[in-house]
Amino acid sequence: MTDADKAGEVRRSSGVAQNEVGGRQGVDRGRRRFLWVTGGLGLAWLGLAAYPIYRYLAPRPAPDPFGEEGRALVKKVSPADVAAPGSGANGSYGQRGCIVLRTPEGELRAFDSKCTHAGCNVNFAGDRIFCHCHGGMYDFGGKNVAGPPPRPLTPLRVFEENGVLYVAPTDRKQEG
Amino acid sequence: MTVDDTRRDPGIPVAAGREERSPDPRFVPIPPEAEERSSDPRFVPIPPEAEERFSDSRFVTIPPEAEEALPPADTVTGKLGRAFFRRLPVWPLVEFLSKKKVPRHRHSFWYTIGSMALFFLVVQIVTGVLLMVYYSPSQPWSSVQRIVMEIPFGGLLRSIHHWSANLMLLALFVHLFSTFFMKAYRPPRELTWLTGLALLGTTMFLGFSGYLLPWDDLSFFATRVGISELEKMPLLGTWIAGLARGGPDVTVDTIGRFYPLHVVVLPLLLLAVLSVHLFFVQVQGVSEPDSFRALPPEQKRYHRFFSEYLVNEIPIWMALAALLVALSALFPRVLAPEADPAAAAPEGIKPEWYFMVPFQMLKLFPGSLELLGMALTGLIPVLFLVVPFVDRSVPADRRGRVATRVGVAFLVYLVAMTVWGMVS
Ligand code: FES
Repeated sequence: MTDADKAGEVRRSSGVAQNEVGGRQGVDRGRRRFLWVTGGLGLAWLGLAAYPIYRYLAPRPAPDPFGEEGRALVKKVSPADVAAPGSGANGSYGQRGCIVLRTPEGELRAFDSKCTHAGCNVNFAGDRIFCHCHGGMYDFGGKNVAGPPPRPLTPLRVFEENGVLYVAPTDRKQEG
Repeated sequence: MTVDDTRRDPGIPVAAGREERSPDPRFVPIPPEAEERSSDPRFVPIPPEAEERFSDSRFVTIPPEAEEALPPADTVTGKLGRAFFRRLPVWPLVEFLSKKKVPRHRHSFWYTIGSMALFFLVVQIVTGVLLMVYYSPSQPWSSVQRIVMEIPFGGLLRSIHHWSANLMLLALFVHLFSTFFMKAYRPPRELTWLTGLALLGTTMFLGFSGYLLPWDDLSFFATRVGISELEKMPLLGTWIAGLARGGPDVTVDTIGRFYPLHVVVLPLLLLAVLSVHLFFVQVQGVSEPDSFRALPPEQKRYHRFFSEYLVNEIPIWMALAALLVALSALFPRVLAPEADPAAAAPEGIKPEWYFMVPFQMLKLFPGSLELLGMALTGLIPVLFLVVPFVDRSVPADRRGRVATRVGVAFLVYLVAMTVWGMVS
C-alpha cells in the first residue's frame, strides 16, 4: 500500500470532519513526493545497471601498429618493388594498409592507405592513387586532387633496413 | 466438527431438515453444494458438471453467439471449442476477425504489397535461423564459405536470404509510396504511418547489419564507409560510430556487435513494431481510396478477410516463393574474397541498391560539401515523418496536391539516383 493510499484510508476511516480541499491537496502532495522518490530511485537504479553495460560495450582502443620499437615492418612490398622512379605498391603494416612509392624525382614515400573520405583503402594505380569507393584521387605527394576526399592521405616515414622496408609515424599527428 | 461448527462456517451451508434425520450429528451427510467446494477434490466425488465449473465465475459461460457458431456440443471439435472459449473470453475477437472485410476496387493490388513484405519477413526468419546453424561469428568468412561450398543447399539458402531481404525492402518501398499516393497517412492513420516508417528503418538496419556478417571485402568496406558517414554526424556521431564498431576501425569485434543486433535485437524490435502496426490496421480497418469511399454503399464490394481474401493471397505467396527460388538459382549470391583490412577496396565496389542514394550523394558532394549532401539525404525520412501532420485534410485540397507533387518528385529523385548509382 502506498503512502498516498494510506493517507486516503486514514482520512476515510477517521470520520473526523475535515477540510476536504486541504485533505486532497495533502494527498496529492504526498503522492507527488512518492512518485518523485520512486522515480528518482528507479533512475538511479537504471544508471547503476547501465554503467557496467556501457563500459562493456564501449569501444576498445586499436593496437598501436608501430609497437614498442616505434616502427612497423612493411609487408607485401620489398625495396625492389619501389626501386624505379614512378613505381609503387599497396602493402600493409600491422593491421593497416599502406602505399609505398618512389616519386619520379626518386624520393621514397609512404602513406596510410585509408581514404580520408569515408575510410576505404586506396589503390596505387600506376600514375596516381585511386579510391574505388567514390572515385577519390590523390597524387604522389598524397594530396587529394579529385573526387570527394577532403584531406591528403596520412603520410608515414619510410626507410629501408637490412633489405626490408619499415614505416614509422611522421612528426605530424597521426590521423584516422 | 459439530453441526454447529458447520453452521458457523458460511462456506458450507447445511440443508435445512437434514440434521434431524441423523441420530449422530457428526455424521450429517454433506450437502451437494458443500461437496463441490471442498478444497481437496481428491476426497469428493466429482459431479458431472464439475469439470465445467471454475472457481472464477467469470469463466463459466460462453456468449450465446459463440454457442450458435460453434459445432454441436457432442462433437469433439464442439467440445474443444467450448472448453477453449470458456477459459479464454476471446470470442469478441474471433467475431471481429470473422466479420473483417477488405474493400475490393481497382487499386486493390497496391493493398497486398504489405502482405508480400510480411511473407518475405517469414522467409527471412526461417532462412536466417537455418543459416545460424552453421554461421560462426568468430570465423565469419570461412563459416559462410562452408555454408556455400559444403553444406547441402547452403548456397541456395543463403541466396534466398539475400534475395528475400532485397525483395522485402522493395516491397516496403512500394508499400510506402502507394500508401503515400493514396494519402492513407492522413488522420486518423498517422500512427500506422509512423510505425510503418519505423519498420522500414529497422529493416534497412537489418540489411546493413547483415551485410557485414559474411566478412568479405564488399561487406567490410561497405560497413567501414557506412559507419564513417555516421561518424561525421554532428554531436553524437563519433560516439555512436565508436559503439557500433567497438573501436576505431571495423574489425571482427564489429561482427560481435552486428551479429546479436542482426539476429536478436533488431528482429525483436521489428516484430514488436510490426504487431503495433498490424494492430492499428485491424482496429481502424484498412484505408479506402477516395474513389471507393465516394461510392454509394450498394456499389461497394468487399472480400471477407477469412477466408476469401486470405485464400486469394495464397497463390501470390506461392508465386513469390517460386520467384525467390528462381532468382537464387539463376543469380546466386557470390561470396567475395575474405576481407583484408589492409588491402585496397575492390574495383567497382557498390552498396546494395537501397543504400544507393546516400552512396551517390557521397560521390556528388565532395569535400566540404559532404555534410550538406548527408543533411539532404537525412531530410528524406524527416519529410516522410512530418507529412501526416502537414497534409491532413480531405481530398481535393491544395496541400494534398502539393503532397502528391512532392511525392512524385521524391520518387523520381530516388529512382534516378539509384539507377545512376547502379550504372555509374
Ligand atoms: S572512401 Fe575514398 S573516395 Fe570515398
